[in-house]
Amino acid sequence: MTRVRVLLALAGAAVAVGLWLALTAPPDALQGEYSRLLGIHPPAMWLAFLAFGVTAFGSIMWLIKKTNRWDRLAAASVEIGVIFTAIGLFTGMVWGQAVWGSPWDWQDPRLMSTAVMFFVYLGYIALRNAIDDPQVRARRSAILGAIAVVQVPLVYFSVNLFRTLHQTQSIRPDGSTMPDEMLVAMLVNMAAFTLLYIALMAARLDVASAEADAPPESAVAGDAVRPPRLSEVEDV
Amino acid sequence: MRFWRQAFEIARVDLIVERRLGDTIRIVVPFAVVALVVFPLALGSRITLVSEVGFGIYWALGILFGMQIALRQSAADTPERRDLQALLGLEPAARFVGRSLSGGVLMAGFLIVLLVATTVLLDPEVPDGGWSVLVISTVLVAIGLTELGTLAGEVTSGLRSRTALASLIVAPLALPLVIGGSQSVQALERDTGILTWILLLIAGDLALAVAGVALAKPLEEATR
Repeated sequence: MTRVRVLLALAGAAVAVGLWLALTAPPDALQGEYSRLLGIHPPAMWLAFLAFGVTAFGSIMWLIKKTNRWDRLAAASVEIGVIFTAIGLFTGMVWGQAVWGSPWDWQDPRLMSTAVMFFVYLGYIALRNAIDDPQVRARRSAILGAIAVVQVPLVYFSVNLFRTLHQTQSIRPDGSTMPDEMLVAMLVNMAAFTLLYIALMAARLDVASAEADAPPESAVAGDAVRPPRLSEVEDV
Repeated sequence: MRFWRQAFEIARVDLIVERRLGDTIRIVVPFAVVALVVFPLALGSRITLVSEVGFGIYWALGILFGMQIALRQSAADTPERRDLQALLGLEPAARFVGRSLSGGVLMAGFLIVLLVATTVLLDPEVPDGGWSVLVISTVLVAIGLTELGTLAGEVTSGLRSRTALASLIVAPLALPLVIGGSQSVQALERDTGILTWILLLIAGDLALAVAGVALAKPLEEATR
């Protein structure tokens, strides 16, 4: 527990530093203050890709090793991935409203593929919730987790493969298209979000382990409570 | 050889069961046509709009109702039947291929009927050479959607709320198929070349076939 608290404190401090850098970087000449979203939007999507990649890794490892810790890893990571995909979509819509004049564009492959990825992983979580048996749940969700990850490269490379409103990658092999202050703010935030991911994973895995270790048939308060039966009521 | 004989046998039995149950012909097709009629009624007097978006409605209904076919009752095996098939030496991959074959036949038939109904009821605008492209893309979408539905059906086999859950998984993953199908016709209108979209559909179908065959064994174990 102490380990998780330390990690969360470190992640919180790192995110605070990253956001401070994003807020103090000079605003973009065209986008103005909205360019500060660079400190949240790309790191959130990076974290989503990382989380879904870890889910796929955990799923494949479960299929090979059949040990529950890989299933727990996949399950914990997907929840964080879905939350950060939602954050990435929301901040993207705010940014799109400011820069494109519209929060959503149905013709845009990046937006569409990200939304598809979001819904597929919601389906993954729904599948997990629908199965009670831990072994059956692990096996079926491992299969879906291994298939669903194909969307990550599709989302990432959609800006290169199709014509889109969304800009292409800002960091390329031949250098960056951003001023140094913005680049540093974005990279620091990516590192901070990665640390946050590690902290959240540690916390979620602790909960998952506790759930797995809990006795399956333990009595809880309320078990003894049941509606009265007619035959038990006197004077009827 | 044994593999293909098993796959064709599974497909043949599936089609016989489906002919007896009649879910596709008696329920899904009429329901989809009713849904097709609802659109012009909902749009009211803007009748030219119906003609403009006719194929959009076709693809949307095709995917949504196609899922009902992919997840049809006749394609759901009981655990006892699976055990029997395993004892008889049925290969899991042959089951996937067989089920995809039978589903593909039903799905292609359904989509063609829906295409005819869309043409008659909504009078959509078709560019020159559009019909052949529509038929090709319809068949490719039918194959992909069936493979996807078969996979999702296996993953959710025996679960409560199976149909809703499998639909939730299939619908987002089917979007590339919708895009490939609809864009192939639009590309013809814009004269920008349809090859990219047809190749996208073929690549999707092949990828799903490879995934289905590769994952057939783990899926077989998962349903026990």
